[in-house]
Amino acid sequence: MSATEASVRPAGTPRSSGDPLVEVRNLTKHFPITKGIILQKEVARVHAVEDVSFSIYPGETLGLVGESGCGKSTTARLVLKLLQATSGSVFFEGQDITRLSRAAMRPIRREMQMIFQDPYASLNPRQTVGQVIGAPYVIHKTEGETRKKVQDLMARTGLNPEHYNRYPHEFSGGQRQRIGVARALALRPKLIVCDEPVSALDVSIQAQILNLLEDLQQEFKLTYLFISHDLGVVRHIADRIAVMYLGRVVEVASSDDLYHRPRMPYTAALLSAVPKGHSGANVAQRVVLEGDVPSPIDPPSGCPFHPRCPKARQVGGGEIPENCRTQMPPLGEVDPRHLAACWYPVEKGEGLDKAAHV
Amino acid sequence: MPTNEVLLEVKDLRVHFPTGDGLVKAVDGLSFKVHRGETFGIVGESGSGKSVTCLTALGLTNLDRANVSGEVLFKGQDLLTLSKEELRGLRGKEMAMIFQDPFACLHPFYRVGDQIVEAILVHEKMPKNQAAERAIELLAAVGIPKPRDRFKGYPHEYSGGMRQRAMIAMALAHNPDLLIADEPTTALDVTVQAQILELIDKVKREFNIGVILITHDLGVVADVAQSVMVMYAGRAAELGSREEVFSKPLHPYAWGLLESIPRVDSAGERLVPIEGAPPSLIFVPPGCPFHPRCPHRFEPCDKDRPDLVDRGGGHPDACHLTIEDKRKLWAEREARRTKGVKV
Repeated sequence: MSATEASVRPAGTPRSSGDPLVEVRNLTKHFPITKGIILQKEVARVHAVEDVSFSIYPGETLGLVGESGCGKSTTARLVLKLLQATSGSVFFEGQDITRLSRAAMRPIRREMQMIFQDPYASLNPRQTVGQVIGAPYVIHKTEGETRKKVQDLMARTGLNPEHYNRYPHEFSGGQRQRIGVARALALRPKLIVCDEPVSALDVSIQAQILNLLEDLQQEFKLTYLFISHDLGVVRHIADRIAVMYLGRVVEVASSDDLYHRPRMPYTAALLSAVPKGHSGANVAQRVVLEGDVPSPIDPPSGCPFHPRCPKARQVGGGEIPENCRTQMPPLGEVDPRHLAACWYPVEKGEGLDKAAHV
Repeated sequence: MPTNEVLLEVKDLRVHFPTGDGLVKAVDGLSFKVHRGETFGIVGESGSGKSVTCLTALGLTNLDRANVSGEVLFKGQDLLTLSKEELRGLRGKEMAMIFQDPFACLHPFYRVGDQIVEAILVHEKMPKNQAAERAIELLAAVGIPKPRDRFKGYPHEYSGGMRQRAMIAMALAHNPDLLIADEPTTALDVTVQAQILELIDKVKREFNIGVILITHDLGVVADVAQSVMVMYAGRAAELGSREEVFSKPLHPYAWGLLESIPRVDSAGERLVPIEGAPPSLIFVPPGCPFHPRCPHRFEPCDKDRPDLVDRGGGHPDACHLTIEDKRKLWAEREARRTKGVKV
């Protein structure tokens, strides 16, 4: 990658840098809302992803967290080019894939795979496990005996290779997710996008799958983009975390930094809302945000978080400061390797107003 | 604060469903008490019998399709012996329930306000406009902004958190004594979850009622419950105050659960999953149902079913290990875990 590239490299880079495997620049996706039956007129747009930039480095796990509707999954699909971006680019190993044709995309697809949330819906019930896991070999016409390769994969992901001819309904939720992992692993990709891979599983099974993902990452030098709404899970597995709110990335930092010292008030509120339970954290310190996430059809001007932001109100003495209302703060470096998009980042040891209105 | 008044007492409840594949023992010998003023948390994985227990308590299991035995005493009265009409008189009036999915619980064709009015008029004769005023008060009480306008709104105009608030408003219509919340926040985002949990706690304090909170999320229980019951395969594995269960858990299943959760406040250490998967409720393992997955199983575990025994301290558990062994094993696990924690 060019020299200018290195100079604009975002500050949230991990220690083991080098060139990023994936680089996302100013990625935007709008979905049109149309009216009319024959003449479809665009009446509004859902601003699903808005000006998102981040990089993923080889061998790391980038966590992507946020509440439902914040654009996590859309971002993931844009990275894999399962959706066409409205504007912006995705670079995979330095190559801009956003404008590639389907044919040109095909060899690159081998390098990027996905694990889906729902292990019940993402496996074809009429195919045997062997067919499901072996499908990538057939599609990409690889050499060698498929059956042997599939059975090796099954053994590696903790499935019994003798179950090659069984159907998905004969497996439990955790085992099905193992099938999904094996399928994603089949072509030895470089990048695996995990979209809420453990959300549908019970906690005891969840831990098994998380451990499996960690082992596979070590063994096959995988890079993960790991999406979850569960902050505990992301904290456990991710090296760096990007927090999204209403289609924008509002904070990026190493997972330790982010959890110990969130700078964007939204991140701070999100973390404080997680029930900590047995860790002895004080419930009284929980910041309960007012209201709901605004609609992405008509996002607020300026910082998308300003209508709910306890810090903005604190700074403005009850009123929301002008710049929060009118200008989107840039995603800038607030600490070394710690990016946040906020005009008034949370300071160390600062408590947010417990804005509880219940 | 919890009082001594027992609102609900369940004694040796068994709910078995005969099916074509065999007898599903959804609940198999369960006993517990819920007091006025307390939040009683029931935790367990899917299929452990949490919801069936509460549905049966409300008389919502189809008795033609299920074999139910035991006693469910609500303010001293055995609910299992009541007729359908008598139960209907209690449900929604003295005990109410809120469900996991607020999207499925409201009728999409009717205005939210009218649905609350309907819930009010079921048990109380009053003019419709008076009921409407009461509904608006309830919406205000659960923190819905501009309740007078929202009263006329349809469910699709409400967000997930607001629908759950509306469900709570409906449940409170007749000042019930007992509120059963079945995974009330599972479908919601964490920030909204925090709002709803706070609301349930406020309702509990202001109305001085008992709350049963069913959840699979140990964190939620640890935050809001005063008593906790851990369920496994239709039985109670452990039952005690929140402090006891979270700081000195006694059952190996509870240990496994606590260790398999990735925590927000510590990273890095490897998770210790529970091996295997929860058993089928048709073929529940003999003896202790947890023994095939238990790393501490020994001689009697696969033969004798351990009873829920209180060995002093009001913290009963169902396990064959001695209390000394348990203390030692848990201390070892704690030491191993905290050693691995990166700060």
